[in-house]
Amino acid sequence: MKKTKKYSIERRQARWGFAFTIPCLVFFAIFAFYPIISAFITSLTNRKAISRNFSFVGLENYIYIFTKGNGGYSLLNSLRATLEFTIGTFIPMVVVSLFVAVLLSQLRKPGHSKFYELCFYTPAVLSSVVAATIWMILFQPTGLVNQMSNFLMMTSGRDYQWLTSNTMLQISTMIVYFWKYIGYFTILFITGLASIPSTLYEAALVDGSSRWHSFWHITLPLLKPTVVLVSIMAMLQCLKTFSTQYMFVQGGTARAPIDVITMNIYFTGVNNGYLGRASAMSIVLFLIMLVFTALQFKFQSGDDVDY
Amino acid sequence: MKNQFVGKISVGEVLSYVFLTIVLVFCILPLIFMLTAAFMDAKQIMSMPYTWIPSSKYFTTSTRTFFTNFQKAIVGNHGDNIFFRNLFNSLIVATVCAMTTVFLASLCGFGLAKYKFKGQKAVFMAIMSTMMIPFEAIMIPLYLVATKMKIINTIPGLIIPFLVSAFGVFQMRQYLITFPTEYLDAARVDGMGEFGIYSRIVLPNSTPVIATLAILSFRNQWDNLLWPLLCSQAEKMKTIPLYISKFAEEKQTDEGALMACALLASIPMFILFFSMSKYFLGGAAVYDSRKG
Repeated sequence: MKKTKKYSIERRQARWGFAFTIPCLVFFAIFAFYPIISAFITSLTNRKAISRNFSFVGLENYIYIFTKGNGGYSLLNSLRATLEFTIGTFIPMVVVSLFVAVLLSQLRKPGHSKFYELCFYTPAVLSSVVAATIWMILFQPTGLVNQMSNFLMMTSGRDYQWLTSNTMLQISTMIVYFWKYIGYFTILFITGLASIPSTLYEAALVDGSSRWHSFWHITLPLLKPTVVLVSIMAMLQCLKTFSTQYMFVQGGTARAPIDVITMNIYFTGVNNGYLGRASAMSIVLFLIMLVFTALQFKFQSGDDVDY
Repeated sequence: MKNQFVGKISVGEVLSYVFLTIVLVFCILPLIFMLTAAFMDAKQIMSMPYTWIPSSKYFTTSTRTFFTNFQKAIVGNHGDNIFFRNLFNSLIVATVCAMTTVFLASLCGFGLAKYKFKGQKAVFMAIMSTMMIPFEAIMIPLYLVATKMKIINTIPGLIIPFLVSAFGVFQMRQYLITFPTEYLDAARVDGMGEFGIYSRIVLPNSTPVIATLAILSFRNQWDNLLWPLLCSQAEKMKTIPLYISKFAEEKQTDEGALMACALLASIPMFILFFSMSKYFLGGAAVYDSRKG
């Protein structure tokens, strides 16, 4: 039986709606779904960049990356470096940017808070490569940071080894990242704060609540969804960090303390050509991200506050 | 009776200004350092204590001027003057990606927000789930795909993997859900086609979200280091982040030239930021549009 060519208006519109999404679907199929499946398949092979032949080796790559040293740059070391970097960066970042946002929203002159916002955001405009380059110079033994730490710690001529001591090197990368993104996260919190109706504060003021009291009992509970969301976003960003660490290593610092997982993938896959091992690491990174993104979605769709 | 509490400055307020100013100094000082050091001789940059004003008395050679650093930055590592070529590459890649992201994301977001079709939810979930795939995890397969497509070392190779972002689709959809359907129906009654409705009604009425999205994707590409690191092997095909990274590697001891290079590379973004700061600072507002 031949189908009739007549479609209802709804049907025709529905087809248009689907058609509008086709370009994006095709794009994501080629540049997101195919590569991640391909990465998974490659992670089960002993594929190398230089040779065309490769065979399936099962979970050998996974066993290798979790048990072997990989020339001093093991995955476990990378996981440690990534974890330390993430915790050391996102917690101060969320706490300070929340605090700054609350202070800014309480300033009585809107012009002042706009000025501060603009200045805090300026570092975020620079590319991460530029940010790392500036700080590399500031962290030199004769550089500005060392001079200032001597001044603040009341020591003279001491070298704080910002780029040479392992722990200090980690702290240095955290400072660069913190510096670059503090303004960005402040703005996110300001947006969250602006959505809390001022009538709540007025009511609290009438009831004799102090500012401090209002902050703990109105602002923070109502801001909780934003805080959770921004925290997860900040964590996801920190887990993916690459440019800062790469620039530092290219600039001559030690690699092992700041060998974050993305950098390990890059060096293993691109420099050393072990595509199989690099893909196995990619899958590990993907699984970590998956957990946190799932958390983010959960909070995003979940508890919206009704005022 | 005059209200004596209005305009009175409390201790808390003074303290918050003090704290904010400390953060301000922390944010701005490295930028001022870049700005001043770009004009200085390396000898002055490394002198202790740091002197903030560029001075000619530190110049090591007689031919040196305040702009020698900038000349060095432009001439590049091997005197091949590829700075402008790389700057041009970066600008093209970032601009094209911003444009295609806006176009494809708004089209898809419109389809998802204002039409009902079978499998709509599945399409939306599929696109959202790509947000869980970090670029860093798929760079090696992508490189192999790009090699097959023969787009390594070309400008299209730098652009194609970033034509649209799942986040952009999400942002556009959230915005367009609140778009009044009456406008669309009115246009349909007047006989306008569906694509005409998109291009002549939806697009012109979404400028704030489009500007924010365009700026965001422009900045992401301007900042992109990892993909060009894999994709651009020829010096001519590199982008600005790669140029700086290479320059930093080879001119480690010439901090002045390095800062001049960093400053030059930041000028386009600074111009964009200070002319459109509303969209930068408002960007977060759209980012956080959880209520749709």
